[in-house]
Formats: sequence, C-alpha cells, structure tokens
Amino acid sequence: MRILLAEDDTLLGDGLRVGLRQAGFQVDWVRDGAAAERELRGQPYAAVVLDLGLPRLDGLDVLTRVRAAGVHTPVLVLTARDAVPDRIRGLDAGADDYVVKPVDLDELAARLRALVRRAHGQTQERLRQGELELDPGARSVQRAGQAVTLSTREFDLLHALMLAAGRVLTRDQLEHSLYAWGQEVDSNAVEVHIHHLRRKIGADAIQTVRGVGYAIARSAPA
Amino acid sequence: MKLPGSLQGRLLALLLPGLVLLWAVVAVVSYFDTEHELDELLDSHLAQAAALLVVQQMAESEEHDEAHHRDRTVPPPEPNGYTTRTAFQVWYQGHLSLRSTNAPSAPMATHQSGFMTLRLSGEKWRVFASRRPEHQLLVYVGEQMDSRDDILIAVLRSLLVPAALALPLLALAGWWSVRRGLAPLRSLSGQLRQRQPQALQPVTMLDSPSELAPLVEALNQLFGRIAALIDTERRFTADAAHELRTPIAAIRTQAQVALGAVADDERRHALHQTLTGCDRAAHLVQQLLTLSRLEGQAAGNPGSPVVDLAVLARHVAAELGRGALAHQQQLELDAPGPCPVRGDEALLGVLLRNLLDNALRYSPDGAQVRLTLAQDAAGTRLQLEDGGPGLTPDEQRRLGERFFRVLGTGVDGSGLGWSIVRRIAATQGASITTGRSESLGGLAVRVHWPSVVTVLS
Repeated sequence: MRILLAEDDTLLGDGLRVGLRQAGFQVDWVRDGAAAERELRGQPYAAVVLDLGLPRLDGLDVLTRVRAAGVHTPVLVLTARDAVPDRIRGLDAGADDYVVKPVDLDELAARLRALVRRAHGQTQERLRQGELELDPGARSVQRAGQAVTLSTREFDLLHALMLAAGRVLTRDQLEHSLYAWGQEVDSNAVEVHIHHLRRKIGADAIQTVRGVGYAIARSAPA
Repeated sequence: MKLPGSLQGRLLALLLPGLVLLWAVVAVVSYFDTEHELDELLDSHLAQAAALLVVQQMAESEEHDEAHHRDRTVPPPEPNGYTTRTAFQVWYQGHLSLRSTNAPSAPMATHQSGFMTLRLSGEKWRVFASRRPEHQLLVYVGEQMDSRDDILIAVLRSLLVPAALALPLLALAGWWSVRRGLAPLRSLSGQLRQRQPQALQPVTMLDSPSELAPLVEALNQLFGRIAALIDTERRFTADAAHELRTPIAAIRTQAQVALGAVADDERRHALHQTLTGCDRAAHLVQQLLTLSRLEGQAAGNPGSPVVDLAVLARHVAAELGRGALAHQQQLELDAPGPCPVRGDEALLGVLLRNLLDNALRYSPDGAQVRLTLAQDAAGTRLQLEDGGPGLTPDEQRRLGERFFRVLGTGVDGSGLGWSIVRRIAATQGASITTGRSESLGGLAVRVHWPSVVTVLS
C-alpha cells in the first residue's frame, strides 16, 4: 500500500518513512507543501501523512487545495499543533484523522490502515472474499482457514485487489501501489507477482480482464 | 516620639494632645484676663463704697456733736455669703467713728490712700483708703481676697469642666470620623486580600477618595504589567512545548524503527538518528534556558569589565572550526588588533557562537564564512558574512522572533538563536543590522559596540 509522507523535519521524516515501511507501507516522502500538492494531484495514493508546518505551502492549504481539486485520498494530519481549534480547523479543511506528535508508529500504521479501509467502504479490519481472508495488521492471509505464506509484494498486490474487490485495477495502478520512488520495477513485475499469487491462492481467485487489468470478484457478505 | 502603627492611631495621637494643649492655653489666658477684669470691677466697688462713706460722715459731722461719732457699729445688711467678707472703718478726728461689725477697732491698714493688699487676722484683704485731711477724715473699705479667688475658680470651673467632659467625646468622634474616612482603604485591602494570585483584573473602587485614586491607578498599572509578563511567559512555555514536540516525535519514531528493524544497518541508522534527535532536543533545551535567563536580565551596566572581542572570537571560531572543516567550509577570521568592548564575556561568547553557528549551519558545503573585526573611533565593528543563500528583507525583519525559522532550508535549528543574539545585544549595548554580503553573496550581519572610552565618559 503506497502512501505519501509530507514532513519537513529530516529526522522525523526519515524515521516515519523507515518505520512505515517496516509496517508494510510503500512510502514516498516529500518535504514541502508544494511537492505534496503536486504528488497528491498526480498520483493515486492510498493515504497521506501530512505535517501542517510545511515550507512553501502550509499543510492546511495543501489540504484545502487538493480537496477543492476533487482528490479524495484519505489524509492523516500529523502535527505539533494540539489546540482544539487547530484540530477542528484541520478536520474541517478535509482531514480524515488528526494526530498530535509524538505518535506511536504502530498506532500511526493502524490509523492509516483504518483510513484506507474506510475509504474503500470496509468496516472490518480483516478483508474476506470467498475462501480468502486477509489481515492487513498482521499481514497474514488464510485460504479456507489455512495460512498462506506470501512475499511482501504478493501480499500488497492481494491487499490492493481485495480492497477494491469487484473493481478492475489496471497494471499501472497495481504497480503504483506496490513500489515507492527509487525502487526498481521490472516491466513485467505485476504479471510475475500475479502468477505467483495464483499458484498460492488458487488460479481462479484473481480474474484477468484482458487489455485492462485484474480483479477479485466481490462475494456476497458472509 | 514614636507614632502608633495605624493611620487612625497616628491621627488621634496628633489631634488629641493638640486639642488638650489648646484648651489649657485658653484656660490660662482666661484665668488671667478674668482676674484682671474682676480686680478692676471689685476695686472700683471698694472705691465707690469709700466715697459714699466719706460723703455720709461729712454730712453727719455737720448735724451731730463730737460724742456722737464714737465707735458706732453698723450691723450687716441682709445676711449673705459675702457680708463677713467685706468690712469698713471711718476715722473721724483721730477716733473710730463708724465701722462694720466684723471690722477691728484698730486701724485696718497703715496707708492713707489708694489700694493695698494686706494680711488681717490671718486673712488676705484688699483695702481701699480714702483720706480727707481738711475734715480729719479717713475711710477704709476692705474686702477679703478669698471671695475674689472663689469667683475666679467658679469661672475657671465653668470653662474646664465641660472641656474635661467633652474631651473623651471628642476623642470618640475623632476616632469614628477617622475610621469612616479610612473605610475606602479598608475596602481596598479587603479586595486585595481576597484575590487569587492569578486574578490580575483591575481593582474597582466605587467613589474612591481623590487621595486613594493614584494608589488604585498605580496598583492597576502594576496588575496590567504583571498580566502582560505572565502572558509572555505562558506563550513562551506553550511555544517551547510545541517546539519540543517535533524532536521528541523524531526520537520516539527513530527508537521504534530501531526496535522494529530486522537488518543490522537499518537498526544502526535508526539508533544513530535517535542520538542526533537527542542532541537536537538538548540543543533546543539549552537555547530555551539561555533565552529564559536572558529575559530576566536587565541592560548591562557601564561598569562591566572590558573584554577583547578579538580573543573571544578566536576561541569561538576555533570551537566551531571543526564542524566547518567537516563540511569543507572555509572559516576566516580577520581581526588585526585587539577590539575592547564592555560586557559580560560569557554572554558575548554566546552571541558570537550563535551568529557563527548560524552562518555555518545555513551555508552549503564548501562555502566561505568570513568574520571581520575592526576598531575605530566610533567603537568596535563586527561583520560576519557567509556564502549561503542569504535572506529576503522580510525574513531579515523576522529574525529574532521566537521560533521563527526560514522554512525550506533543510536545516534543523532551534529557531531561538537570533532571539538570543538580539536579546544579548540589547543587554550588552550593541546594535545589530543585517544585509546582503557584497563579496560572498549570502547574509551579512553587522554588530556595533560603542567605544569603550565613550561608555566611560
């Protein structure tokens, strides 16, 4: 799951990037508000961690502008401004969550997962489609009650497809959610991971929509 | 004389003895005045009585023979308190012709005319003598002095008794009116006593007397100043807490990353970052403490010792030179001669360190930083130039605002260095200007200290 981190403090930004990567996120890190706005308008991120005191363009302005531009990416505001009026202003400007520094990395990861889940209309932390059950927090997958061992990329791919169950995701969209900046991507990486996934969870679990992309069929809620 | 502690006691202690003294003076003056008037009046009565007796004796002596004029006594008239206190004798042709019953048969006095005060059978008498030598007539009319004293005492009593009675009443009335008059003061102290320490709203006094108005006004001004001071402190604390959040968040995050790291180099990196974060937080705390100590400091006194800025600058440059070397920055110090300034050596060192640290911190690797010190008639001039990006006029104006940081530099600073520099300059009598460096292109900071001689004169 790929997220955008907008934080100007080098030390905190570095820690958040590495820490969120440990929690299974792909993290792109920008250090000023203008870059944050540009990236949010240009790329489909699963979520954003947005600092408010950003150079060039304040975090609240970034938020107001991208919301006005119709970007619905879930936004978690991470800031040192803890006064209630600040929180209200942040949430009113379009933030989905408001967290005051310092924050526990595990909690931040959980809040981000919750934001992503809600953005996809899910209310349960565990995702279920047919025989498959995926736990984003524990990063574990079960097929008909049996644990399946997946690589990081395979898990992320399945997670993306299950979150968007019933919808077709293009190869580019999948590739974007799998790789952060600076990571080398083979031209057929997505196909390779799909291939391996099908071997582990069943060939018919993932459908190919020729010329468009891949999808997991939405099953009736249990 | 030591006055009582209370205002009320003081007023009474000053008023009452004054009143008693005034009364005593009035009593003494009236005593002598009354005595004089009384003497005049009664003396004239004596003279009058003597004149009457002379006339009567002369009239009788024409009608009767000599034998008739031998020691007749006249009984007292209607008895009253004074009858035995007056007496008279009429001597005719060398014999006592007529006397009052209480008068002796021997002559009452020895003088032949006018008034005389003498002692007669143990009592003090005032005797008037009237003599007519052509008729061989001598008349004495006397009066006991006791009676005059009685009248005087009666007059004095009527003066002093009401005073003695009125004095306690007056004291009571004085005490009451002073107490009434001081009621606003008591209400003010009552208001102040009931105040919570954090209550700093102005004192309100309805119909406060004009004497109290300046006090109330001064009090309210003091409250205003204290409130402003507390407000500044509160804001400072809030700002400080806010500013400490980010370094603490960084330390926490990096520590958590280190805990969760699988690879060794990832853990080492995170631990290294944790230490950097601790250093940064420590630096911020240090700067905060320096600033808060400076806030309470008054402006320097002209009697401060003389410090050679050139020597101090060399020390500071040597201290920070290592960091400059690590970034391949060229740090130059140009101080040809001694540069004496008056001030606190430790604070001047903090000022130099902050300026130089900023210049090095915000200049890129390989940049040049030049510190020039010069001494002239007007005083000592310091110029610090760097090859960094410089600052816009707006940013230059905002230097010294607490926690103001030029954003987007990618450099971690406390945002307090310039607050400290400006504060020290203010306490040490130095003036600071900023601009663009002509030769190096970055920021130029100029500090000017007045001449040591000027300060002395």
